[in-house]
Amino acid sequence: MIEFKNVHKTFEGRASVHALRGVDLSIPSGEIFGIIGQSGAGKSTLVRCINMLERPDSGEVWVDGVLMNSLSPKELSKSRKRIGMVFQHFNLLNSRTVFQNIAFPLELARYPKKDIVERVTVLAELVGLTDKLQGYPGQLSGGQKQRVGIARALATQPRLLLCDEATSALDPDTTISVLRLLKDINERLKLTIIVITHEMQVIQEICDQVAVMENGTVQETGRVVDVFTRPRSRAARSMLQGFWDPKLPSALQSTGNTILRLTFANQKVHQPVIAQLVRTCGVDVNILYGRIDQLKTAPFGILLVELVGSNEQRSQSIAFLQENQVEVEVFNP
Amino acid sequence: MINQAILSMLWNGTLDTLRMVSIATFLATLAGLPVGVLLTTTAPGHILEQPFLHRVCGGIVNLGRSIPFIILMVAIIPFTRLIAGTSIGTTAAIVPLTVAATPFVARLVDGALREVDAGVIEAAESMGATPPQIIYKVMIPEALPGLVLAVTVTAVNLVGYSAMAGSIGGGGLGDLAIRYGYQRFRGDIMLMTVIILVLLVQGIQMLGDAVARKFYHRN
Ligand SMILES: Nc1ncnc2c1ncn2[C@@H]1O[C@H](COP(=O)(O)OP(=O)(O)OP(=O)(O)O)[C@@H](O)[C@H]1O
Ligand SMILES: [Mg+2]
Repeated sequence: MIEFKNVHKTFEGRASVHALRGVDLSIPSGEIFGIIGQSGAGKSTLVRCINMLERPDSGEVWVDGVLMNSLSPKELSKSRKRIGMVFQHFNLLNSRTVFQNIAFPLELARYPKKDIVERVTVLAELVGLTDKLQGYPGQLSGGQKQRVGIARALATQPRLLLCDEATSALDPDTTISVLRLLKDINERLKLTIIVITHEMQVIQEICDQVAVMENGTVQETGRVVDVFTRPRSRAARSMLQGFWDPKLPSALQSTGNTILRLTFANQKVHQPVIAQLVRTCGVDVNILYGRIDQLKTAPFGILLVELVGSNEQRSQSIAFLQENQVEVEVFNP
Repeated sequence: MINQAILSMLWNGTLDTLRMVSIATFLATLAGLPVGVLLTTTAPGHILEQPFLHRVCGGIVNLGRSIPFIILMVAIIPFTRLIAGTSIGTTAAIVPLTVAATPFVARLVDGALREVDAGVIEAAESMGATPPQIIYKVMIPEALPGLVLAVTVTAVNLVGYSAMAGSIGGGGLGDLAIRYGYQRFRGDIMLMTVIILVLLVQGIQMLGDAVARKFYHRN
């Protein structure tokens, strides 16, 4: 369990930047927790405050009952060994082989040689790099480098893994495979994973919960399904819009009819709600766009529909949909 | 004529030069490496940030580098006598050579260490590495090709300095060139010493490049 209590951080410089403005956030153990936000929102700064790579100016950061910002350098060094970190640009040691890179944190912690060999072997297998152990990072692809980064981060058996844009430097296929690996690790090792990203897809694929950041504050936190279907903050809505909604041709938008954005989650995805709507309310429904996606835990769908009918039929329709637990939003106000 | 005696003189001169250069390079590296590490790690934002120490240290290094070698050599004669017992000969020349090369090495080491990716250092910090561990296990190994090239440049420079040292009784090839080539108008001996010096420099650089390449794994 990780808790931020009113954490502030300002970077002094020519122009001082108030990167964290009173963050309160708790992150439960054992889940994959996403932190999303635009560039400069303060995501990296927040996560770097967990292992004190960045020291908060004020506020408290608790990790499993330990107040991180009160630790002495020695205690901090020890507790960092229980927190793994994965980086966007991998940050592997070019002078070391893959084996030596994965062994690095074990060497730092002064593990006996025999244990190191054993542990590295297990980790290499976990991330699928057994045949690359004697190579150097310079000879690996981006995805392979990140697998080394993940194996290295897991070497000392941390209870917590921090991933700062771990897939942002990778192509889409490699991204998927690295995300699968993280999900698999979360399930097998039961460790908490925090992923920072600016891509909704990452949240969609692997996260249980998500926090949306903007301007140094957390705007919204919740289970991914809930935030995706009923975003409460403007920041969450705008991130989702960019992710889901198509650009409708302007001819479609100016027909004068109401266009609704319907969001379905869980069981609703399987029900013929639109057919029932047409029968019950007598409106004509023109489907403009639709998609169904799989969130980590639930199916999730979006429809853009145009309602053709009287004003009264229109309000009836919206009421009917809401009764059926479909999220309704007027797309063209 | 180039006879047996002259050849053996050239051979001994070459050995003297090699001895001066290799010992001075070794000692200057020994002394300059920690100073270079200090320069890098005490810089603002680095692992042992100490702005005042950093500035003082940088100032001393710059001062050392700005004194022309020939002046430095004369100026520290008392110090040379103290260490070597004399101020004449190859052994004595090692003292000013080392003193001159140390700040040079320190600056080159600083340059090589600064090239180490900050992200890699941060990754080590995130694993709980202590500053000494970061220096020994991350910075120096990662900068090794650069450090080898720094030592190579130093050795090449010292070949030149050692020839200068020869002109005021330092021994080695420079001494030969002055005494025979210049003072006795033996252009042929002068030419031979120059050729040997050129070959020495080429050899040192080739060796340095080869060793650096061996440590280079970036591709
Ligand atoms: N070391 C630093 N010195 C000065 N300013 C910094 C530093 N680190 C971050 N900042 C500033 O703090 C703000 C938040 O940065 P942060 O890196 O946390 O954002 P982010 O959400 O991770 O963005 P991105 O998606 O681009 O990585 C930015 O305005 C950034 O310029
Ligand atoms: Mg960031």
